[in-house]
Amino acid sequence: MPFLIARKKTLTDKEKRSKAKRNKMNTHEYQAKDILKSYNIPIPRFGIASSIEGIESILRDLSLKEAVIKIQVHAGGRGKAGGVKIAHSQQEILKNARKLIGMKMVNNQTGSQGIVAHQVLISELIAIKKEYYLSIVIDRKKKEAVFIASAEGGVEIEEIAAKNPEKILTMPIGLNGVLHPFQKLQLIKFMDWKAEMAEQGIQIAEGLVQAFMDTDASLLEINPLVADQNNQLWALDAKLVVDDNALFRQPKIVDFYDPSQAMQNEARAKESDLAYIALEGNIGCMVNGAGLAMATMDIIQYYGGKPANFLDVGGGASKEKVAEGFKIILSDPNVKAILVNIFGGIMNCATLAEGIIAAVKEMEIRVPLVVRMEGTNVEEGKRLLQHSNLAIITVDGLDNAAKKVVEMLKGKE
Amino acid sequence: MAILIDKNTRVITQGISGKAGRFHTEQCLLYGSRFVGGVTPGRGGETILDLPVFDTVMEAKKKVGCDATIIFVPAPYAADAILEAEDAGIPLIICITEGIPVKDMLEVSRVMQLSQTSRLIGPNCPGIITPGACKIGIMPGYIHKKGRVGIVSRSGTLTYEAVWQTTQLGLGQTTCVGIGGDPLNGTNFIDVIKLFQEDPKTEGILLIGEIGGSAEEEAAEWIKEYCSKPVAAFIAGITAPKDKRMGHAGAIISGGKGGARDKIATLKNAGACIAKSPAEMGQAMAEALGRF
Repeated sequence: MPFLIARKKTLTDKEKRSKAKRNKMNTHEYQAKDILKSYNIPIPRFGIASSIEGIESILRDLSLKEAVIKIQVHAGGRGKAGGVKIAHSQQEILKNARKLIGMKMVNNQTGSQGIVAHQVLISELIAIKKEYYLSIVIDRKKKEAVFIASAEGGVEIEEIAAKNPEKILTMPIGLNGVLHPFQKLQLIKFMDWKAEMAEQGIQIAEGLVQAFMDTDASLLEINPLVADQNNQLWALDAKLVVDDNALFRQPKIVDFYDPSQAMQNEARAKESDLAYIALEGNIGCMVNGAGLAMATMDIIQYYGGKPANFLDVGGGASKEKVAEGFKIILSDPNVKAILVNIFGGIMNCATLAEGIIAAVKEMEIRVPLVVRMEGTNVEEGKRLLQHSNLAIITVDGLDNAAKKVVEMLKGKE
Repeated sequence: MAILIDKNTRVITQGISGKAGRFHTEQCLLYGSRFVGGVTPGRGGETILDLPVFDTVMEAKKKVGCDATIIFVPAPYAADAILEAEDAGIPLIICITEGIPVKDMLEVSRVMQLSQTSRLIGPNCPGIITPGACKIGIMPGYIHKKGRVGIVSRSGTLTYEAVWQTTQLGLGQTTCVGIGGDPLNGTNFIDVIKLFQEDPKTEGILLIGEIGGSAEEEAAEWIKEYCSKPVAAFIAGITAPKDKRMGHAGAIISGGKGGARDKIATLKNAGACIAKSPAEMGQAMAEALGRF
């Protein structure tokens, strides 16, 4: 069975940190639940399996008769994609869990390549009486972390925010992550929690705030938080996104890094310190700087073309980075032409030209390649490209470059 | 006249002994900026690029006197460097460093909001330049030209593009300010636009924004209400895919704002001349100036 093959190469801590750092640091549901559990937030008993033996041992250890089985992937929309199953007997649990291990999930969040679930979470079933929503996020505008609560859980919180903003309570938690007594009172009134439920709700809210602060999270969410028939609260699903700039002081979170969950090209780009996002079009783009990279996509579209990707090679792009950039762009079979747009600030255009020439020679690039360069030592850069005897089209100005690459493609179709 | 910095601005570099700090300090000196010292803890008493190095910002301020500091300190320690500069009362703090943890920036934001003495530009920004007078940043100096337009931008290389276009059209710039691409930054569009509005030499303002957040919308509201100078704008990211979410629940609180189209519509409504493509930023500015 393919899913039984573990990743053979174990990464050192330093490798993990550097790889994780270049990815948006998502975590799995079970990892978020483990963290919440350590802050005394009630989580239904669960186990994680990646093999039949694993499933069997969970069934034994937790002596489950019924269960919910959920694929563990770094993407939302698992339920709709068929990655969540409810089972009412041990046999059914075994059957469903086996099916879900190795499942490839494809939706708008995963891209057309999809993401494979190597692990499933098997959890005891809770009889749900009511669902709630709790989260903490950073509010960019107010420049502070805010606690968000709603008595309408289990649905898209964005939808509630848009349609019924009065059903959402937001409370700042300050620099040190504290809920004041008046805020706790606000919370239980808003959620209509009484007696023991109010006590438990406050305990959960406090645990959530502390966990958020301790993990350098940018998002920590319980959705849904549910009340069972005995008015006991449980966190049924959890999501934790950690600020990747803070990973240097979060060794525990770095250990959560799961390389199987990153999209291949994007992960590869990030390992070379390049920011890459695959798009649907056919014009590959290589640009320095995120703003200029976005603007280059915009101008290609403006002239009727379709960008195949966003690729920022960074301010100090080296020869190696340029070469790696070409490799990643060309690994997308849809790419029919490439536009390189570099505004060399501190970077020297001649060095860049050498990098392009070396890459074109090495990789035998067969699609039209349009290069627009501006900045330091641009004359020498252009001269090198023009005298390289390679089919590189050098163009002056962003406008002309975009027009040219779109036009080249039209000629080919 | 210009805003924030001129030929008399006395500057120190925090993190002067590092590779980037040293290189860019040298580049700024070559441009003609007046750097008077540097700070690296533990390296006090040394000399780098003929500049005296101090252990702390306070010592540097007392010994050489300075109006501005540029920070190249690595991300894990950069927030501390900003707080130190604020504590020493340096009026202008420019932080180039990229990748400062958000939690650190929450504290920095709070301190800067309350600060009576200091203004923070950045972090994760290219810095500030007043062409022909003073460069405190990492931008290539030669693409700039002393002139009529004030430029404010969230981006680095896209700003260079705008600068280059206004230079080629002969408009030139009074001052260019990169406010940085991080979600939490010190100085925002509004703050810089207010300064340009008050600066007699600045005839027009070119704003370069991008998707995410609502700083452009807030700037548009201010422009509509108070700005008497011609404004041109470009917003990058109109083709950025929608399903690639920029951080989940963050969009809730800003009420669904953040898309390029909304930003463009709001700025247009405020009377700004919108560049339809990034190749037309200079032309849009010229057009806006011509209308007046």
